[in-house]
Amino acid sequence: MTTMTMPASRSRTDTWLLVLMLWHGLLAVAGLVAVYVAFTGINGGLRFAVAGVLLVLALLSATTVPLIHRRDHRGRSISLVVNYLGFLTCTALLLDMIGAFTGIDDLAQRFGRGLPFLLISFVGYFIRSFGDRFEQFPQRQRSFQRVGNIIMLAGLLLFVLAIINFSGIPALASEILQPVRMALLLGLILFGVMFWAMWRQPVAEVMGVNNARSETLSGYLFLSPNFLGFLLFFAGPLLLSLYTSFTNWDAFGTRDWVGLENYARLLHMTFAQLSSPTQLATEVINTSIFDELFRFSILGKSFIVGAQDKLFWLSIRNTVVFCLIAVPLSVIPALLVGTILNSKLPGMKFFRAVYFIPSVAAVVGVSLIWQWMYNAAVGWINYAITSGIGAVNGLTGLAIADPQMRWLSSADTALLSVALMVAWQTIGFNTVLFVAGMQNIPKVLYEAATVDGAGTWAQFRNVTLPLLGPTTVFVLTTTLIQAFQVFEPIFIMTNPPGGPNNSTLSMVLYLYQNGFQRFRQGYASAIAWVLFLVIFAATVIQFRRQRGGAYEA
Amino acid sequence: MTQQAATASTYNPPRRSYRLRKAISYIAAYTVLIVFGVIVIFPFLVMLATSLKLPADTFSYPPRLLPRAPVSVELAGYDKPLPLYEIEVDGQQREMALVENTVRVGIYAAPDNLDATVTVPIDEVAPTGGADNQATATVDGAASPLFDVPVNGQIVPMVLINQTALGRFVDPENTSIETLANVRLSQPVSKLTAHPENYRDVLQLNGMSRALINTALVTLLVVLGQLVTSVLGGYAFARLRFPGRDTLFVLYLGTIMIPFVVLIMPLYQLMVLIGWTDRLAALIFPWVFTAYGTFLMRQFFLTIPREIEEAALIDGASRLQILWRIFIPAATPALATLATFTFLYAWNSFFWPLVIINTGNTNNHVLTLSLNVLRGRAADSPNLVLAGAAISVIPPMILFILAQRFFIESATSSGVKG
Amino acid sequence: MNRRLIFVFSSLLLVASMLLSACAPAATPAPAAPAATEAPAATEAPAVEQPTEAPAMEEVALRWRTRPDNQEEADVYASISDELDAKLEGITLSYEPGGSESSSYQDVLKTEIGAGTAPDVFWIPGSDVGDFAKRGLILNLADQASMTDGFNIDDFYAGPMAALTHNPDTNAEGADSGALWGLPRDVSTFVLYLNNDLLAEAGATDPRELAAKGEWTWDAFLETAQKVRALGSDIYGYGANAWWGPYGTWMNAAGGGFYNADQTACNLNSPESLAGLQFEQDIYQVHDVAVPYGEDSEPPYRAGKVAMFQNGRWATPGTRTVEFDWDVVELPQGPAGDAGNWQFWGAYAVNANTAHPEEAWKLAQALTEADVQAKISSMGANIPSRVSQEAIDAFLTFTPPANNQAFINGLQDNAVAEGPLWAGSWPDFVSVMDARVSALMTGQETIDQFAATICDEAGKAFSQ
Repeated sequence: MTTMTMPASRSRTDTWLLVLMLWHGLLAVAGLVAVYVAFTGINGGLRFAVAGVLLVLALLSATTVPLIHRRDHRGRSISLVVNYLGFLTCTALLLDMIGAFTGIDDLAQRFGRGLPFLLISFVGYFIRSFGDRFEQFPQRQRSFQRVGNIIMLAGLLLFVLAIINFSGIPALASEILQPVRMALLLGLILFGVMFWAMWRQPVAEVMGVNNARSETLSGYLFLSPNFLGFLLFFAGPLLLSLYTSFTNWDAFGTRDWVGLENYARLLHMTFAQLSSPTQLATEVINTSIFDELFRFSILGKSFIVGAQDKLFWLSIRNTVVFCLIAVPLSVIPALLVGTILNSKLPGMKFFRAVYFIPSVAAVVGVSLIWQWMYNAAVGWINYAITSGIGAVNGLTGLAIADPQMRWLSSADTALLSVALMVAWQTIGFNTVLFVAGMQNIPKVLYEAATVDGAGTWAQFRNVTLPLLGPTTVFVLTTTLIQAFQVFEPIFIMTNPPGGPNNSTLSMVLYLYQNGFQRFRQGYASAIAWVLFLVIFAATVIQFRRQRGGAYEA
Repeated sequence: MTQQAATASTYNPPRRSYRLRKAISYIAAYTVLIVFGVIVIFPFLVMLATSLKLPADTFSYPPRLLPRAPVSVELAGYDKPLPLYEIEVDGQQREMALVENTVRVGIYAAPDNLDATVTVPIDEVAPTGGADNQATATVDGAASPLFDVPVNGQIVPMVLINQTALGRFVDPENTSIETLANVRLSQPVSKLTAHPENYRDVLQLNGMSRALINTALVTLLVVLGQLVTSVLGGYAFARLRFPGRDTLFVLYLGTIMIPFVVLIMPLYQLMVLIGWTDRLAALIFPWVFTAYGTFLMRQFFLTIPREIEEAALIDGASRLQILWRIFIPAATPALATLATFTFLYAWNSFFWPLVIINTGNTNNHVLTLSLNVLRGRAADSPNLVLAGAAISVIPPMILFILAQRFFIESATSSGVKG
Repeated sequence: MNRRLIFVFSSLLLVASMLLSACAPAATPAPAAPAATEAPAATEAPAVEQPTEAPAMEEVALRWRTRPDNQEEADVYASISDELDAKLEGITLSYEPGGSESSSYQDVLKTEIGAGTAPDVFWIPGSDVGDFAKRGLILNLADQASMTDGFNIDDFYAGPMAALTHNPDTNAEGADSGALWGLPRDVSTFVLYLNNDLLAEAGATDPRELAAKGEWTWDAFLETAQKVRALGSDIYGYGANAWWGPYGTWMNAAGGGFYNADQTACNLNSPESLAGLQFEQDIYQVHDVAVPYGEDSEPPYRAGKVAMFQNGRWATPGTRTVEFDWDVVELPQGPAGDAGNWQFWGAYAVNANTAHPEEAWKLAQALTEADVQAKISSMGANIPSRVSQEAIDAFLTFTPPANNQAFINGLQDNAVAEGPLWAGSWPDFVSVMDARVSALMTGQETIDQFAATICDEAGKAFSQ
């Protein structure tokens, strides 16, 4: 291929490569200067990060020069990466300087004005798609589409006109004319041009790029928007939190390395034999360190278990119990209802839509509603129970006592109450997922089962359940992960959050209390990582059980 | 038991009509669905109904679903309108006006017959023999003071058994009909009255209308952003081979399980560094890059046959073109699923806004945040709090109902292919 | 094909418009004077980026925050901020209403302190002052106070001032302790909110009369509650919410309390504290006259189902919407001879990282002036923290309740000031105590089980 290229374009390519080498040389020098400036100009731990990144980029830039000279394909890759990152950085900085990010606040103000127009264009979309019902009448379909398109575009246009601040545009222009911004703009253009120059096919060919290498680069390129953001907003903070979990950071001042102390304190337990089941804990364990967690009897002997951080273990227990209640409650009914919905009875779409509604409602709003319903004195749920029992007693002459449930204020039922609400909110979504999974099961299998004489239950057990495997794994996993992280409903519905008597203290809530109420960020981070390990273990176990589960490629 | 049941079933008429069985199963199915539907919908009905009430009405017991207001009547000689109650007088149900709330009454009985009691206002009773020299009777071995109690026009000396307070009711149409009855246990006459102005009050109270707009904007941007990054990332993971791909993917997967609270503090500091505290940008950009969306899109892209793509590659199409022309159209259902998930997440997120947006900066509040503030500020008026809740719950519901085809059927046809 | 084109077009349009319109506004103020580019930062955190540049010439910008109890109060604080802004020379104020108690006021504040974005002057509840002071999050104002003419700590209630002048190094308190952590915003105290209709129906003697005669004791209280409870299974004699305030009063009234005299150890297992808790447990478990422990008593009270609801002044504005005849009365006297009431308080403290400590001190002072306090107490939700007769008179004008004097009596009758825990960690202590008392009141635990381990467990808060 390369040998067949025309000499003229060949020499142009060489010129470009020369320019690129010069550019990278310059860049390396500029980078080193920037390292110095950054290191002296910025205070705190940040300077190491900034200077380090700059140094790496400068060195990379420098190494490309000889590599490009040798027409080594690695030179092209490195050059592309450096230019790409430079381009992104310049863009981001420029946008930041002209206030594109913080300007979103003001945008919101005008966005309200534009919202009706946006709705108009939505309506246009619906008209458009309504036309699809007339596939037999292409003419009518087309006219629907045309009208829909016009409305949609008109709506969008009006929307844009409504939200743009025209008076700001000249200001924006003059803003960009300031030196630093001009420099950034120039950098942006230069990096962009250099990237494009290196990316072009002729250059690529000269640099000896084959299919695999180009695929690698494309892969990273496609992944980069997500990956860079992920590094910045997720992985970075995550590592910081891992580091924090090994320190005694209090959120303000000191951040001393304490090694595994936080984890040790979390997991520190003791165990002792009691001489009698009611013996005081003080007599057998060191209560200045440990608190009694629970006691139990085996073979006529009694034992006591204490923990240094009793609340942590309580929170684990609560979280596990919560999962054991909430997950089956939100999965099993969903499966059953899903089975009914999957039958071809009329009105199923309606019910499906109704069941989905709770999952679109904000947790905060829903928690407030349920808190009101659970009120023991004036709430609906107790009223329903009282009047139900009254009706039964009246009809049958029995004297069933009114249980007078104290849903959220009794340590026995508070966790159950929250779990019921969470299940109520999740069932609809799970139902829809199950129906989706069931519709993917080939009808042939059911027909075959019917021919074999299998009843409804047998069909469900032998056809639906096994083939629903992947969906079930997905539903179970997401529900479980969510349940492990339960926080908001507890935070809003129970008073004090986690009460009564710590019966609804979940792991995330305990973590929050430590980190944000008791100034123990280090300790809170340690809890977070233990929680992560617990969730991770639970998920892995689930996948192991479902061999060839959802995450297989 | 099981055995019995099994035997019983064999005794069923062998050829029970197929139709009947079908009908029974239909009825059973619909019963289940309807009961379940009521459970699902009822809290929302409570929310809507309560949001239209007056504060006092929300605290009534037994709870009433519909907003009602007590009916009152103007009566000559009283400067305030008087509330009406359903009162039984001489076996007749009447609507009567409450003219006096707390009439102190005594429950009296003759010392020799304590079971036959009479209820008489205390000021109609005088101590037997005068206040200074009150006569007594022996009841249960103790001396009890005696009172002159008027019973059917006669004065009878009786002992006081108990005291209480009753309301004095008058029939507004015939003021001569008067009776004493317990106010608390009487049924007030009421009529349906909705108070939609609660919504206006809430919107004004907290700048909630602004919060609504902010939430819409944040949600829109997060959904758009996440769709873009997830499609690109998912495509890379699903279709492009590059060193480190699988390691990276496992890393991505692992982070799905990390509870968000872990990140709050470090992320907050990052925002301080960038200068985005108190800014809507902080609610948007960190959520544009998620592992979850990437994972979902990758799973879907994997199901698209490789052959189509390879044919296009040979035709000289670029990767971007392939993604655009082949993958995205095919993935519409998965995109809709992801959009739904993201929408719900962004619309409902509570914790991060709580931390990052200053409580005082109402211009940048999102709905959940306004609601949380409202919960504290209007704790006295559940009607307002639930009106706020309704405002946060209804728009996504409407959107969902309008775009049902998008939301559910797409999920249905795509399924979540594990 | 057409469809995709439209999609491309519209999304491009959308993105472009977002970008364009997002950029524009921030740029708007720029062209006139490049130096003032960063001016829109008025609402922004002062400490973060542009600390002094533009505004330093004329005015010092201060941010302050307090926790309002309702929207009316938030509005009043905002107008007070505007007035003070005009009054205080060289200071520009911006007021930020914090969330209410349930909306994590303190949590958000702590996060912001951690990140350095907290306001210059903020309000914190009295029990948190110790924690904030020990960690160096709030400024010691003693020096500035000593240089201020006319400032006298005796103008305020002694209870809060003792805590606010506590010097953690020397444990000294008072004017010369060398410490001043803030100035009290207001005080409050418990009363029983009465449902007179229910009391009359039950035939109970009016508690206000008993209190006037000095016969309002625990026994009288219990008898009243029992009479009301007899009216029906859904009618309660007494109601209180589940936090340290209500159960603390029972302990205090029995002569006990949370800590020992010098606040260095747990006192929850002393015979007096246990006697108070025992009485309260009996109210719930033996006599069964109260709204179940842990249930919010406010809805049933306002539904007319509770005769005596223990709550603070902050509940007054909301209670005015009820439809029955209501008033307030002092808490009943316990075996120790008084009602064991609390003096609740919170204080304006100055952020330790403020760039303008002088101005912040001036602001804290201005916020606790008599006229400002009068304005706030006219909203009905709290009592001025100044002891002058004028302050009390200003407070007494807010009726109903007719018996406002009950609040004043509650304050003066040997009330125990809400105390920051200097020798330990209050959040740790209270979380252990709350949980165990809840177990006690709901009958999960007996008083003996409680007594056996409570101080082992809660005492760990002192080793922090």
